Amino acid sequence: MNPVYIAGAGMTKFGRSEWSLMKLASVASLAALRHASLGEIPVDSVVVANMGAARINHQTALGSALVDQLALYPAMAEAVENGPASGASAFKVGCQAVASGMADVVLVTGVERMRVVNGLEGTDFVASLSQPEVEYIYGVTLPSLAGMFARLFMERFGVERKHLAMIAIKNHENAMENPYAHIQQTVTMEGILTAPEAVVNNPPIAKPLHLFDCCPVSDGAASLVLVSEGIAAKLGGAAVRVAGIGQATDTHAVQEREDPTDLKAVRIASERAFSMAGATAGDVDVAELHDAFTILEIAESEAAGFFDRGTAHEAIERGETRLDGSLPINPSGGLKAKGHPVGATGVAQLVELVWQLRGEAGGRQVKGAKIAYACNFGGFGNNVVATVLRREET
Amino acid sequence: MSDKVYGAKCTSCGAVNYPTRPVCRVCRNEAFEPVEIGGEGTLLTYTEVYALAIDYETRYLRLAIVELDDGLRVTGQLLDDDPEVGKRVKSTIGIVRKPAEVPIWGLQFVPA
Repeated sequence: MNPVYIAGAGMTKFGRSEWSLMKLASVASLAALRHASLGEIPVDSVVVANMGAARINHQTALGSALVDQLALYPAMAEAVENGPASGASAFKVGCQAVASGMADVVLVTGVERMRVVNGLEGTDFVASLSQPEVEYIYGVTLPSLAGMFARLFMERFGVERKHLAMIAIKNHENAMENPYAHIQQTVTMEGILTAPEAVVNNPPIAKPLHLFDCCPVSDGAASLVLVSEGIAAKLGGAAVRVAGIGQATDTHAVQEREDPTDLKAVRIASERAFSMAGATAGDVDVAELHDAFTILEIAESEAAGFFDRGTAHEAIERGETRLDGSLPINPSGGLKAKGHPVGATGVAQLVELVWQLRGEAGGRQVKGAKIAYACNFGGFGNNVVATVLRREET
Repeated sequence: MSDKVYGAKCTSCGAVNYPTRPVCRVCRNEAFEPVEIGGEGTLLTYTEVYALAIDYETRYLRLAIVELDDGLRVTGQLLDDDPEVGKRVKSTIGIVRKPAEVPIWGLQFVPA
């Protein structure tokens, strides 16, 4: 396998956008292409990540559409749909093209425009990833799967609502330093949990999860430029290498998992990514986890190997995952505050990590970060892509 | 419309595949016989969900995963105003969703 480098990263601000699907995708792509400073070097292939455009934006064949917007013909192009893990899946497909020698330059762009539909429609479109016969028909939505997971996990490991609130507080705080974040507003323990008005500020969404345990619904796009070793050398500058990618699947219905609190696909995908990278969880300087729900940041951080099972909430209490802690998690603000345009998320996680590894993350910079990890959690944990990036000195 | 919910019992290893699938999850055999799903069990976990999908006009739904006494775990709607993990429940069959006014029947749980 040939080495793969990330030469450029860009994104739009997440949130509610008036821009069309393709305008979002184009703006993020152009930002990444400018960041890569390709000059006259052509883009060989375009991979677009998206989950719901066919349904909610009435548009298909997004790879071809983006090539046309950016006048990149006759580049190869396709779209990748893999639920909420579409972003990292598209990234993986792009990496495979470079690693195989089939392409020297690949543009990977994740995009989602979800705010055009109402809440019920939006929730239903994401719920369509659940098992149709034994989950979806009962009214299962992603928040409900997270709620049932949270109750089980919290009872088993002694995680309390205050721990979930600590995740929300931390991620909102990190997002204050991220101009691309959907929500830039600090929250306090009083405001969302302990004060009398917290019951109004923070209503239940899927008990025991409340509003501030759930990510917002966002529009947005994020983009990466992947290049071969030859092109990376030509471009010079800071080199971010794709050190490892791991992906794993699990049963479609949560009920069939031997231990429903065990995020087995996160565990296996992470093991595969670390093994390919020749690294361990202990080597990681900064991580972006898929905190669509606060409980997932806790559970994923254990399954990825950063903490022993049932202990992540104690590490959070000690502040270890804060920006100034020993393992900063979600410096971008995570899905919780940065936002979650579903198909864009997996790409946006890696955009943040590229900026972190290049020392370009501004007020949320993790000093001296050399090894970074991302977990893009698809389905309710039934398809997970883990990525390890490494800064190489040139 | 059906007043029963079925899984598929593998004719080789006996595992109940629910959801059904053409290949047994345990032994990869491809022959099954239908088996009725339901009975008594204990509440493994539950939620009261306010973030509902289309087709529901209620304010919230209670959903649960129940571990049936035969060991099978099933998801369904919980008709119990006082749920608790570990509580004994039993299954009934009712209308669980009504897309375009066409009712879908499925598992609901009430206190045993």
